Amino acid sequence: MRVMGVGGGARENALAWKIGLSDHKPEIFWIAENRNPGLHKICKDNQGELRIGRTTDPKTIVRSARGWGIDLVIVGPEEPCFQGIPDALEKEGIHCIGASQELSVIERSKADLRRLQWENNLAGKLLFRTFKNAREASDYIRKNIDTQRWLQNIVIKPARQSGGKGVKLIEDRQAYLHDEKARFKEAYFDSLQARMAAYSDIEDKILVEEKAWGPEYSLQCFTDGKTVLGTPLVQDNKSAHELDSGPETGGMGSISGPDMTLPFITREEYDKSLKIIEGIVEAIQRKTGNSYRGMVGGQMMLTENEGPTVIEMYSRLGDPEALNMLAMLRTDIIDVFQAIVERRLSKLKLEFTNEDAVVVKVVAPNGYPEKRDSAKGHPVQVFETNIKRNGCYLFWGSADLQEDSQVMTAGSRLLALMAMDHTLPPASARIEKTMSSVQLTDGWGLYHRSDIGSEQLLAKRQDAAERVRRLYKYREERGTLGSRIGWVPKLGTVDPSQLLLQEVRGPGKA
Amino acid sequence: MPGLIGFYTFGEGRENWDASHFIRYGLSALQGRGQESISLSTIGPGRTLHTLGGKGGVEEFFQKNRTSIPKGFIGIGQTSSYADDYLVHVKAPYELVLALDGKTDLHEDRGEATKLFARQLSQLLHSEKEPLKATSMLINKIGGGYSFVALTHKQEFITGRNPLGVKPLDTGSVGFDIAAVASETCALDVMGIDHTGPVETGEVIIFTPEDIRGNTPTTDVGNFCSYEYVYLARLDSQVNTLPVAKVRNSIGRELAKTHPAKADVVIGVPETALPMANGYSQESGLPLELGFVRTGENIRAALKPTQKERLVGVQLKLNPVKSAVEDRDVVLVDDSVVRGNTLQNTVVNLKRKGAKRVHIRIGSPALVSSCPYGVEIPPKDELVSGSLDEEKLANSVGADSISFMTVEELQRAIGLPRENLCMRCFEKGGATR
Repeated sequence: MRVMGVGGGARENALAWKIGLSDHKPEIFWIAENRNPGLHKICKDNQGELRIGRTTDPKTIVRSARGWGIDLVIVGPEEPCFQGIPDALEKEGIHCIGASQELSVIERSKADLRRLQWENNLAGKLLFRTFKNAREASDYIRKNIDTQRWLQNIVIKPARQSGGKGVKLIEDRQAYLHDEKARFKEAYFDSLQARMAAYSDIEDKILVEEKAWGPEYSLQCFTDGKTVLGTPLVQDNKSAHELDSGPETGGMGSISGPDMTLPFITREEYDKSLKIIEGIVEAIQRKTGNSYRGMVGGQMMLTENEGPTVIEMYSRLGDPEALNMLAMLRTDIIDVFQAIVERRLSKLKLEFTNEDAVVVKVVAPNGYPEKRDSAKGHPVQVFETNIKRNGCYLFWGSADLQEDSQVMTAGSRLLALMAMDHTLPPASARIEKTMSSVQLTDGWGLYHRSDIGSEQLLAKRQDAAERVRRLYKYREERGTLGSRIGWVPKLGTVDPSQLLLQEVRGPGKA
Repeated sequence: MPGLIGFYTFGEGRENWDASHFIRYGLSALQGRGQESISLSTIGPGRTLHTLGGKGGVEEFFQKNRTSIPKGFIGIGQTSSYADDYLVHVKAPYELVLALDGKTDLHEDRGEATKLFARQLSQLLHSEKEPLKATSMLINKIGGGYSFVALTHKQEFITGRNPLGVKPLDTGSVGFDIAAVASETCALDVMGIDHTGPVETGEVIIFTPEDIRGNTPTTDVGNFCSYEYVYLARLDSQVNTLPVAKVRNSIGRELAKTHPAKADVVIGVPETALPMANGYSQESGLPLELGFVRTGENIRAALKPTQKERLVGVQLKLNPVKSAVEDRDVVLVDDSVVRGNTLQNTVVNLKRKGAKRVHIRIGSPALVSSCPYGVEIPPKDELVSGSLDEEKLANSVGADSISFMTVEELQRAIGLPRENLCMRCFEKGGATR
């Protein structure tokens, strides 16, 4: 059997590693935009080849798959899905694990996702509003902020996925800082508009969402369009630096286990989250008439208004969340993929370890994420035997293997180190112990987050979860979950949820 | 004693933030640490350090200088209880501004010692390649007890706490683009910023436009200022992760257990001793009454520079409520006694409103030594407890009894190990470490 993967990050390195462990002994081929040293080795060891090519170009991908005589393709990142790689392969009769172009809209367009949730009145949604330009956004907020109070505390996002950046959280809770916050919101709308001008594939450029607070977690799933199977919860850490401060990154490390939930999320919350994702998969299939075959994930948050709530959707596995999930997976991954292709996931026994907690820490060169040019082109030295001796695993990310077999940084997250143990803190400590095994030989600095998986950070998550849980459980008891009714002098009660429902579904249907 | 603020922004659009608004309200929250002199410095669109200082209080300063307040997207600020105590601006070899709470041992005079520290930092940043390493070296080399914030012309924000860790300092962040540092967590709250924990003893953190980097803190357990818990810190702050409100309640309870009094009612001296009086009441079962009403704004009388200002401060805030004390034996709870003359004034007023007996209970040990780290505890010969024992002190202020906590009792109330607390001001001949 011949398998081909698409994408060159740590997530893809982990997928290839897991595929390499399959009893089906597949030959492994890969297409990536960088010569990822991990993928290079796995392909070589499994009678395959790593080819450098444009992962978003359907022609390149189809030609390679034909040329190699591939039986099954696995698409790692989101952008190839947005560009219709799975569609092109299926058209050629090549089986592919990956969301089709139309289905991946749940990730590509954050605005379409929200609309889908509200049209179908699904659980776990946030108030939102989209705008075509900065002017429209500023005017609307200025006009409505006193009657629709959620507009005070908002998240501003590019309405289209644009490399995972550009999210601003603005809380306007202090009247004495209101002018400053209002001014910043408007200035940010302007800069976002300038940036989004590059994307012509969507009409709405700016998305404004109600800002919620609470612990976040990811639930990744396999789906064949009929059945959605959940995997263990993972928590990623998006801030570049310790204790959740600093710029937004693609993810600096993640925790999971030792069972299907996390130490601060309940089984009931897991089940609710899975239902929410099932609802979205069902709704997007109904809307597009497409059938979903691949991975789908919810980046979730426990919130006061809704309980489990969708922050964003993934039309793929998370990076680095995929590493945690794959490490815990006991079922042969090729069996899982074949069940998806043959649409018999409901019959598959999907098993995960329930005795190992997993910690993943990402190592990035200084300069990432704000100045990627400066983070690029530094020579890397890795002592793999040290890493193995400490019981850790290495997955290469944004790295480039040169002709002379020197590895260079490629500007983004360089690699991920992973460890497993009975609980999270010792796994975290094990990675810390081996961190010096990764170096740049030109003296340029590397950084990572030492706090991921630590007792201290876990306690903080636990604390946040308990506070939010008390609030949403109370609402649940009183039957006010999902309601945001407020009272405005002279206007009386205002329910922004009802207003939004009416707007999205048309009058009379709410 | 100064209160410090650092405000930092990251990412796309950061130049749209105006740090001065955040610093203004952060400093307002810290004015309990003194507000004789206010100063701030920011870096704005011109990418240069822009500094302004002037007489306090915080609100008056910002109102008066409305048009000249330095606007910028990153900045630091200081509110100080000392007259003419402003941010230190070093122009060369490495331009920076610095504010320091506490005192380094580089000079007898606190202000001079801070200037010397700033100059050495500038020198080291100039000569060493790695600012983090350089600053770590500096705080390990230079003794005293201090926390500081500094901003360089290269947009580096440097903050640290020396290994002794006497002075508090806390960090916070919100969203992906704002981080802040403040002497007390209450200032983070007021700026709308979530807490991310204290700066550890011996820790240095450097914020640059690209990242945040910290050294590995020393293993020193720290020698935290106990007077922060007794008087200096605001009730809604957490100092070294301990909630001040909880500590003050424990102090009151501890006092009731170890220094009981036969009385009808408990009253506290506003503002600091009110939660202590509450704890005393809860433990003893004696009813708590609100014994005083304040005129005008909240004044931190003990931090005022002249005796007259201190007396005015106390008299304005301590007009007794007659019905609370008339024909009753009263327990009067106060946080500490410095010179004793404001206390005398208070007792006389209570008795004139009809209090039968007044038993004073103090939520800290007698202050007998000055502070080597710059807290305004006057020289020994101005400390009444340095000269008088409890009985003589009671007679001199006209009270029926007065008693202080012991060092052990205070330590128990705070709940930290003895070696973790600085109590030099409560110990005779309390030398610097």
